[in-house]
Amino acid sequence: MHDTTANPILSELGKRLVEGSLSDAEIQRATEATPNFAILPWVNVVKIGGQSIMDRGRSAVAPVVDEIVANLDRHKMILGTGAGTRARHVYSVAIDLGLPVGVLTVLGTAVAWQNAQMLQYLLARHGIAFLEPEGFPSLPHYLMERGAVICQGMPPYKLWESNPSVGRIPPQRTDTGCFLIAEVFGARKMIYVKDEDGLYTADPKKDPHAKHIPRISVQDLLARDLNDLVVERAVLELMLNARNISKIQFVNGLKPGQLTAALDGNEEIGTVIFNAATEREDAR
Amino acid sequence: MSMIDPGAQHVISRLMRESLMDKALIAGTESPVRAILPNLNVVQIGGSSIMDRGHSAVLPLLDEIVKNQIEYTQVIGVGPGVRARHILSVGLDLGLPTGALATLAAKSSAQNAYMVSCLLAQHGFVYLEAPFIVQLLPAMLAAARGAVFNGIPPYDLWEHPPALGKLPPHGSDAGSYLVGEVFGARAIILVKDVDGLYTADPKTDPSAEFISEISAADLIRMRLPTLPIEPVLLDLLTRAKLARSVRIVNGLVPGNLSRALSGESVGTLIHA
Repeated sequence: MHDTTANPILSELGKRLVEGSLSDAEIQRATEATPNFAILPWVNVVKIGGQSIMDRGRSAVAPVVDEIVANLDRHKMILGTGAGTRARHVYSVAIDLGLPVGVLTVLGTAVAWQNAQMLQYLLARHGIAFLEPEGFPSLPHYLMERGAVICQGMPPYKLWESNPSVGRIPPQRTDTGCFLIAEVFGARKMIYVKDEDGLYTADPKKDPHAKHIPRISVQDLLARDLNDLVVERAVLELMLNARNISKIQFVNGLKPGQLTAALDGNEEIGTVIFNAATEREDAR
Repeated sequence: MSMIDPGAQHVISRLMRESLMDKALIAGTESPVRAILPNLNVVQIGGSSIMDRGHSAVLPLLDEIVKNQIEYTQVIGVGPGVRARHILSVGLDLGLPTGALATLAAKSSAQNAYMVSCLLAQHGFVYLEAPFIVQLLPAMLAAARGAVFNGIPPYDLWEHPPALGKLPPHGSDAGSYLVGEVFGARAIILVKDVDGLYTADPKTDPSAEFISEISAADLIRMRLPTLPIEPVLLDLLTRAKLARSVRIVNGLVPGNLSRALSGESVGTLIHA
């Protein structure tokens, strides 16, 4: 049996963690006071949309690839890919077959993987590697040597994906996976490359009266409870708890230069969603 | 599909061209789910509560598992215990983020799961890492007699930052539950060192009452200061589709697991 009380090498918090219950709110609160170390503070996570970019083929993907290549010497990038129309097809087949959310996640991951693999073929001549989650420990090396790596955007939850509160589509998909990569590494930026200029009051593809929202707090956006969003709701919910990422930016990958502008720090492009509780607006 | 979008190459499906963030579309996918392994029983062995006690607690429980495997198909999830708490405290002190802490803690439960699999090896149990649970679990159950897995889910670097503090919210209770939910398991039994839930701490409050059955929503409303299970498990239960309850039993009392497997009311049942 362990006797931890006499152990002089444990910190005060360590003793409470070892002896107490991890579900005790007081112990959880005590962990707030520990420092926040950013693992890769110079890296930018860039998510390339599935339906919005990859499914369009060369006309949309080639300019984005050119822009990535032009930025390789200027900005370090983790490039995550979305899934898109094949995921929608496989989700609808699997839902019809009565399969659970965890199985849909495994299926959707394969589609994001295909897109990541295609993107990597296009960037291979520049020495860009594709890393599975298991390969992430070597990610810093590739970023230092080549400026970018590619990964598929889905979080590796597989069968362990939790159910949504409504419906049967996995709630945590590639927007969420890329956001959590940015959060855990303490990234400089989280940029989503889609086929719209950012967030609108409704789906601009369907509603001509939809109005562009250039900048909004995540609190305000959640309070508006919009019927449709440019980003997975799970990202907005995670933003409220995130310690490192206080804002995310959406740019239009069909308009050359927007990604570069966002990487350079221009927040007038697209839409910025920020956490009003942690982001100091005067520090823009 | 009011507007034709000539740019993207689509595969025809019910969800084609739609925003998967649209509330009406999401609600439209609500429909029944099929249980993949309806005869499965998920048994979670606690880390601090059972494993860290050593052979006096572990071996009788494993004997009971083996005895029951003839009648009930069990897969065994295992929790991390005190080594995870130690590395959490060191990692927190170094300033590491929640995702890094989750990746580190998961190795402690992997060690415990591996030890359990060694002790059960002669009875045909295998240790399956997460990728093999995805690919091989049904085949293993058909060919062997059982499987042992790491209770902590493979969220790793992608673990959620919690609302309060930095401790990874999804531990081995959540991971074992999610295995039961995705396969549509018959029962999920969390083996701990307490008899179940009380309205207060029975060690300090003589008026504490035992709770033999309660809904997850009611338990969330009670706001108990500490729980013998991860709070996130209650949220997961409120969204259950197939695995609509978990049972907490005291694994230090011989026979409790057998009674739980046979459907007897032992310990505490938390339902959706």
